[in-house]
Amino acid sequence: MKVEVKKVHCVFSWSWHIPKNAGTIESGLGEDAIGDIHGMVHEDDEEDVCGICRASFNRTCPNCKFPGDGCPLVIGECQHNFHVHCIYEWLDTSTSRGLCPMCRQLFQLKKGVSINDSHIERFRELAIKRQQEQNEFESNLDDDAAIARAIAEQEDTGRNVDNQGDIIMDQDLVVR
Amino acid sequence: MSSLPKRIIKETERLVSDPVPGITAEPHDDNLRYFEVTIEGPQQSPYENGVFDLELFLPDDYPMEAPKVRFLTKIYHPNIDRLGRICLDVLKTNWSPALQIRTVLLSIQALLASPNPNDPLANDVAEDWIKDESSAIDKAKQWTQLYAQPKK
Ligand SMILES: [Zn+2]
Ligand SMILES: [Zn+2]
Ligand SMILES: [Zn+2]
Repeated sequence: MKVEVKKVHCVFSWSWHIPKNAGTIESGLGEDAIGDIHGMVHEDDEEDVCGICRASFNRTCPNCKFPGDGCPLVIGECQHNFHVHCIYEWLDTSTSRGLCPMCRQLFQLKKGVSINDSHIERFRELAIKRQQEQNEFESNLDDDAAIARAIAEQEDTGRNVDNQGDIIMDQDLVVR
Repeated sequence: MSSLPKRIIKETERLVSDPVPGITAEPHDDNLRYFEVTIEGPQQSPYENGVFDLELFLPDDYPMEAPKVRFLTKIYHPNIDRLGRICLDVLKTNWSPALQIRTVLLSIQALLASPNPNDPLANDVAEDWIKDESSAIDKAKQWTQLYAQPKK
């Protein structure tokens, strides 16, 4: 038999190589984080999906057309991976407080991973922005706490004068 | 209207195909970001045997922004105000895009099971709750009877 090849169609497939120890969404939020997390992620069990848009890493985030280099993924220090566009959009909100959506640790790009390299600078800038907001928020809290303490002290002084019985009780407690 | 993100389509499909016990959520015909929700009052809570209507809306920025959820049925609860607004951390400061419509609704169901008067939204209710818990619970039961009866 003689075969003549007239046409050849090349077909290829690709997928991101994700190191196996880089956990995916199975290791999501701890049980205590929100109480009940049934049904947090069951779909696409067999595939690695982005915990934010829930599309496979081998597809794109909702805003992109071309997978792969057009819509790369990044690997977190906490072992959670996302489309770079998804996690950047999240960290760009002040609600995020710079935290990983899955485990609520501060999100940082894993060091020494080449696919992260080109994003490190932008992510660092975002992290600084979030840190500043957090500092402002905490100093406001401190102010509030100082006011509350001042009020409490005033009330305490009032009570010292008025009600000696209570004071003795308090001292008892302190001794024990 | 811009097309619906795949994540929302998937979540909706699963809410219908694999519903959470005691919870229904159906998207509106003309607006697939708007859901009509019902939650059954948890057993052994003052809301037991009640069925509560809620509305849930997915803002354009969802899942970067939390869903907006509100009780439509009147309810006597220290963390739910007269307008049905809900004081729940995962709907505000503790939102995460890893959460979903179903996890949010489960958290609301859990809030019915354990009211928290120390983190109130409805201050008057919370005060009653702290002052006299058993009569507050009675009132919550009465309101459930009055306003949250399942529609035939
Ligand atoms: Zn994504
Ligand atoms: Zn993208
Ligand atoms: Zn993480």
